Amino acid sequence: MAEEQYAHPGVCLFTVLFKFSALGFYIMCSIFIESFVIQFVVTVFLIALDFWTVKNVSGRILVGLRWWNEVDEQGQSVWHFESLDQQTLETLNKKDAWLFWWTLYLTPVAWVALGIVALIKFNFDYLLVVGVAIILNAANIVGFTKCRKDAKKQIQQFATSTLTSRMGNTIQSAFMSSV
Amino acid sequence: MSGIDRMNLNTSSQSDIDEIESLFNISVQPATLEVPQSVPPARKPSSPPTIPVSAPLLPPSSVSSSSQAFSTPAPAGPTLSTGFGGGPQYNTLTEPVWETLKRDLVRVSNNLKDVVLPNPYREDPGKALRDWDLWGPFFFIIFLALTLSYSASENKSKVFAVVFATLSAGAIVLTLNVQLLGGSIIFFQSLSVLGYCLFPLDVSALVCQVNNTKLFRSLVVLVALAWSSWAAYPFVSTAVPSSRKALAVYPVLLLYITVGFLVLANN
Repeated sequence: MAEEQYAHPGVCLFTVLFKFSALGFYIMCSIFIESFVIQFVVTVFLIALDFWTVKNVSGRILVGLRWWNEVDEQGQSVWHFESLDQQTLETLNKKDAWLFWWTLYLTPVAWVALGIVALIKFNFDYLLVVGVAIILNAANIVGFTKCRKDAKKQIQQFATSTLTSRMGNTIQSAFMSSV
Repeated sequence: MSGIDRMNLNTSSQSDIDEIESLFNISVQPATLEVPQSVPPARKPSSPPTIPVSAPLLPPSSVSSSSQAFSTPAPAGPTLSTGFGGGPQYNTLTEPVWETLKRDLVRVSNNLKDVVLPNPYREDPGKALRDWDLWGPFFFIIFLALTLSYSASENKSKVFAVVFATLSAGAIVLTLNVQLLGGSIIFFQSLSVLGYCLFPLDVSALVCQVNNTKLFRSLVVLVALAWSSWAAYPFVSTAVPSSRKALAVYPVLLLYITVGFLVLANN
C-alpha cells in the first residue's frame, strides 16, 4: 500500500492556515500595528474565516461530518448532525482526520492561554477578541463531537444489522451445504 | 460435493454484499433526498458498495482522491443540484465549496431583504427569519464600530471596543429578555433579527461622514432610527404575549436610540 499522504492537502492547508494566522496575528500584532481597531478587526475576521472553513469545508471533506440548525414549521429549533455512511467513512484518509481533530481541540486551549495572559496584563480590550475566538471554536467542537457520536451510533446499528444477517446467512449456507 | 460447496461459498459472499445493500436501501429513509436511480452504484470488486445513508451517491474514490479540494467538482454527476425543492440543507455533504459559499451569501442577502425592506405583503413576520444566520449581523456590527471609530477624533480604539461590546452584549441581553418574558423566539433567530435591523443605522453612520452639520446628522439619524425600530418591532412584538409587548419592545428601542446617539455624538 502506498505511504499515507494527505488526501486533501489544500483543505488541510486552509484549515491550519486560518487558525495559525489568527493566533499568530494576535500575538504579533502589537509589534507591527499601532491601532487596536485594525488588530481587532483583522484577528476577528481571520477567526470568522476559520470558523466558516472548519464548519463548512474541512468537516465535510476531511471527516465527512456536518452540523447545522434549522427552524421548522412550528418555530422550533432543530439541530441536525449529518455524517457520511459508514463505508465511505472508513475510506477517508486517516492523516486528514488526525489533523482535523487535533487542530480542532488544540486551538481553543491556545486561545484560553492567551486569554489568561491578557487578563494578567489587564488588557480587557483584547479579552473581547479572545472571547470571540473561544465562542466560535467551542461551537465547532460541540457540533463536530455530536456528529461523531451520531456517526458512531450509526456504525453500531449497521454492525448489529449486518452481523445478524451474516449469521443468518452462514447458518443458512451451513445448513444447505450439509444436505 | 466439494465443488458444489465452493460454488455455494462464492455465491454466498456475493449475496452478502447484496444483503448489505438491501439492508441499507430498506433502512435509509429517503426523506431527505431522492437519488435518481439512473446512476447505478459504482461497484468495483475491491471497493465497498457505495450506498447513501444520509449523503448522496458518493463513489469512495472521490472522497479519498487527491484532486484539489477547493475546486472539487461534483462527483460523477448526479444529485448535487439543490433543486430537489425542500430546504437548502439536503445533499450538502458533498457539494463543492463554491456552492456552500454562494448559498451562505444568498442567505445573507435574503435575510437582509426580508427584515429591513418595507414590504406590506410579507407573511407573518414572526416566521420570516426562519433561515437565520449570524454573518450578516456580524458584518454590520463590525462595520458600524469601524465607521464610528474612524470618524472619532480621539480614543478611536475605545470607541470601537465600546460600540462592539455594547451591541453584542445588548443583542444577547435583549434576546434573553424576550425569552424570560415568556416569548417564543429562538435565541439565534432573535440575535439575527436584532443584528439585521442595525443596517439602517449603518447607512446613517456612513451618510453622516459626508456632512458634519448638526441638523443634517440629526435628521439622518432620526430617519434611520425610525426605520430600525419599524423593522425590529414586528419580530419582537409577535414573539411575546400581548400583555408584555411593551416590556419587550421598549429595550429594543432603547438600544437603537443609544446607538443613534453614538452616531450623532461622533465628531
